[in-house]
Amino acid sequence: MSETLMRTVLGLDPDKLVACVSCGLCLPHCPTYRATEEESASPRGRIALMRAVEAGELAIDEDFVRFMERCVMCRGCETACPSAVQFGALMEQTRVTLGSQRRIGSRWMRLALKPLGHHRLLLVGSSALGVLQRLRMIPMSVQPRLGLPARIPIRRAPLGPLSDRPTDAWLYTGCVMDAWQRDVHNAALRVMAATGANVNVPDGQGACCGALHVHMGMGGDARRLAVRTMAAFPGDAPIVVDSAGCGAQLKDYGHLLGTEAARVFSARVRDVGEWLAPRMNTLRISKRFGSVVAIQDPCHLRHVQRAHLPWRIVLSAVADTAELDDDGRCCGAGGSYSITQPELAGSIRDTKVEAIRRTGAPIVASANPGCSMWLSGAGLDVRHPIQIVDEVLHGP
Amino acid sequence: MSPSSPELLAELRAALAPIRVLDSPFEKVLYARDASAVGYAPPGVVCLPLTTAEVQACVRIAAAHGRPVTPRGSGTGLAGGAVPLNDPVVIVTTKMNRLVEVDEDSRTAWVEPGLLNLDLSRQVAHLGLHYAPDPSSQQTCSIGGNVASNSGGPHCLLHGCTSAHVLAIEVVLADGSVCVLGGPEPDAPGYDLRGAFVGSEGTMGIATKILVRLMPNPPTIRTLLADFASIRDASAAVSAIIGAGILPAALEMMDANCIAAVENFAHAGLPLDAAAVLLVEVEGLAAGTEIAASEIVAQCRASGARAVRVAATVEERMLLWKARKSAFGAIANIKPNYYLHDCVVPRTKLVEVMEKVVDIVESRGLIVLNVFHAGDGNLHPLIVFDRREPGVEEKVQQAGKAIIEACVAAGGVLSGEHGIGLEKRDYMALVFSAVDLEHQQRLRDVFDPARRMNPEKVLPTGSWCGELHHVPEGAWI
Repeated sequence: MSETLMRTVLGLDPDKLVACVSCGLCLPHCPTYRATEEESASPRGRIALMRAVEAGELAIDEDFVRFMERCVMCRGCETACPSAVQFGALMEQTRVTLGSQRRIGSRWMRLALKPLGHHRLLLVGSSALGVLQRLRMIPMSVQPRLGLPARIPIRRAPLGPLSDRPTDAWLYTGCVMDAWQRDVHNAALRVMAATGANVNVPDGQGACCGALHVHMGMGGDARRLAVRTMAAFPGDAPIVVDSAGCGAQLKDYGHLLGTEAARVFSARVRDVGEWLAPRMNTLRISKRFGSVVAIQDPCHLRHVQRAHLPWRIVLSAVADTAELDDDGRCCGAGGSYSITQPELAGSIRDTKVEAIRRTGAPIVASANPGCSMWLSGAGLDVRHPIQIVDEVLHGP
Repeated sequence: MSPSSPELLAELRAALAPIRVLDSPFEKVLYARDASAVGYAPPGVVCLPLTTAEVQACVRIAAAHGRPVTPRGSGTGLAGGAVPLNDPVVIVTTKMNRLVEVDEDSRTAWVEPGLLNLDLSRQVAHLGLHYAPDPSSQQTCSIGGNVASNSGGPHCLLHGCTSAHVLAIEVVLADGSVCVLGGPEPDAPGYDLRGAFVGSEGTMGIATKILVRLMPNPPTIRTLLADFASIRDASAAVSAIIGAGILPAALEMMDANCIAAVENFAHAGLPLDAAAVLLVEVEGLAAGTEIAASEIVAQCRASGARAVRVAATVEERMLLWKARKSAFGAIANIKPNYYLHDCVVPRTKLVEVMEKVVDIVESRGLIVLNVFHAGDGNLHPLIVFDRREPGVEEKVQQAGKAIIEACVAAGGVLSGEHGIGLEKRDYMALVFSAVDLEHQQRLRDVFDPARRMNPEKVLPTGSWCGELHHVPEGAWI
């Protein structure tokens, strides 16, 4: 029998699939299970369904697709799993298979992701959207559905400060984040420069990381973007990322492409908190941030990169901090999840907002642009933690 | 799996809401089993009620259609108790998960059955209170499920199992009527039907509201980890600690295989070269716990402990418990399937039975992890296997039977805290006479004369006339 005939329905690795013992310890850590209290929205349940399909017991139908699409892919279940089940890999592969059969991802969603890799076009398009928004030509009712921020920037300050000396560290600037949250990049650049590092951004800037494409089951696009991104960062200087979602994706290139070059590239990637924590002693900190800051860990920082602790070192040096009591459960943003699953995402966000309110802190720090926009949409004052450090160092 | 009649579905959907009555093929797969490898049976229909009235409606509609009922909580059971046999209507309580009211003065709370055990403790933490029974699955298991199986947990050594913490239960009976068993009084008048219901594994009705006792958080806690070069030494230390007149809050043992599996996940700094570790916890007033802790250190050393570590911080303590409580879930680090036992033996027979268990399992070429509540002699031999290996399931079943027989021969019982369910149903005759079983059946019949609640569980079917059914063909997965 040839390799292709041997391929299973979903193409899942049988060793990964068999590793779940169905103990259910993941259930309370899954945001969609918490929101629905139904097995179909739990990691254990999703694996049981994948198994039923792979074993040929049941054929893929609308229910199966719906249950797979309801996963936020926060990977909180992986942190909770004592058997280290690679749920993210199973779900990604399932989506790639469903995507290749055109069973998930509407045509317009696929189209919407296409410009992310063309940065100049994206910036111009984003500014145009900003103008339309000011002219009130985008109905308020559809704005949350499109995942748009409350005020899309029309003009952006240039990226800086940049160094003309040999690069000590790169700042990865991404696609949408550069269009909508360049102020976060500039805060990161100012703080990094204050440590004495010579920081640069890549030529042609953008080069989308491809994370959203993976979520939508668009594996080919994701791999093409990965190759392009890698080419934009020559040398061996660390690649610092101020978006947890992008950082997680860049760190996964070794696995996505399976090449030595990709593994070497991934090993250079650091979340900005990870990069900054051991350099805090190089900063001259003469005051503290004015109010208590609640720390909201983006899932892609806490559960995927497992790099959420360095932010405690960084933030506690400049501010009084408060921890949430929800074991780092997802906020529901999940890349494009808040657009594709608005109802569930909203219910998950409500739970997160309650947890944040319980801390009593007026300001929330979140190291991922998707989470911060999503939580801002619920009326919270959300900052990137690097902006808090920047404000303490350089003023508001 | 047979399709449910359109009338049954229509009536259930009218009584609940269409989206809370599930019958699609994928949904049925999801409610076909619990966390054990015992039994797999996709049900005809699954209901997710929100209120007692909705539970009543489900039960009544099922009765009108001549269908049995199988209750289900979080599906973390370890004895197949929630496996839907005889094509029942499955009633899932996960959406009934509110903390209804707390009486701070009398330290009690009414809770709905789907409330998760750990969520309850967290929701009353600001009052300095907690719910004491702490099964290892406490982050996921529900209070209703705990009531059904009279669950234990490490801290039940000092505080007692679920039954000691449940004062009253609102129950929907098999005919759809509601009654309250027990009451808030310390000693409710009349027969203790509450006591009969706790641990009845869904065969007497469905708990829809539970009055639980809440305990004040102890002023001080000391947690110790003792490292031994042999299981025999560790077992001797268990006897020595109890013999010295100390009643720890928890006294747990893990063997080398178990340590390796959990350390991989929890990174709690467990000694990977130890044959066994004891995790001991004492709680109470500072002076008392200091004395008890130093006595425990002395007893462990005298029994041959290589080292005794006292957790210095809350974080270190939490990490040790995280390691202990993730044992079952962590086994896929070794093999993907497990069969977990739950025998209780007299503490004095611990060493003897442990050695026998290891011999039974290893002589069949299988691997066993031992993790258990040593303080009360509650063994949890965990046979791990990969069912893709030909012939292995048969060996696991044989080993399982031999373990149970060895425990019973040593004066032990079938189950400490997981329940009988489907798994140990046919072993009941090992510990009970036909007369005993007949009287248990009569008690069950008082609650459910038509025998429609969770059929085929706990009591061997037809045991009163000497007939033993076996676990259905293919039920073992």
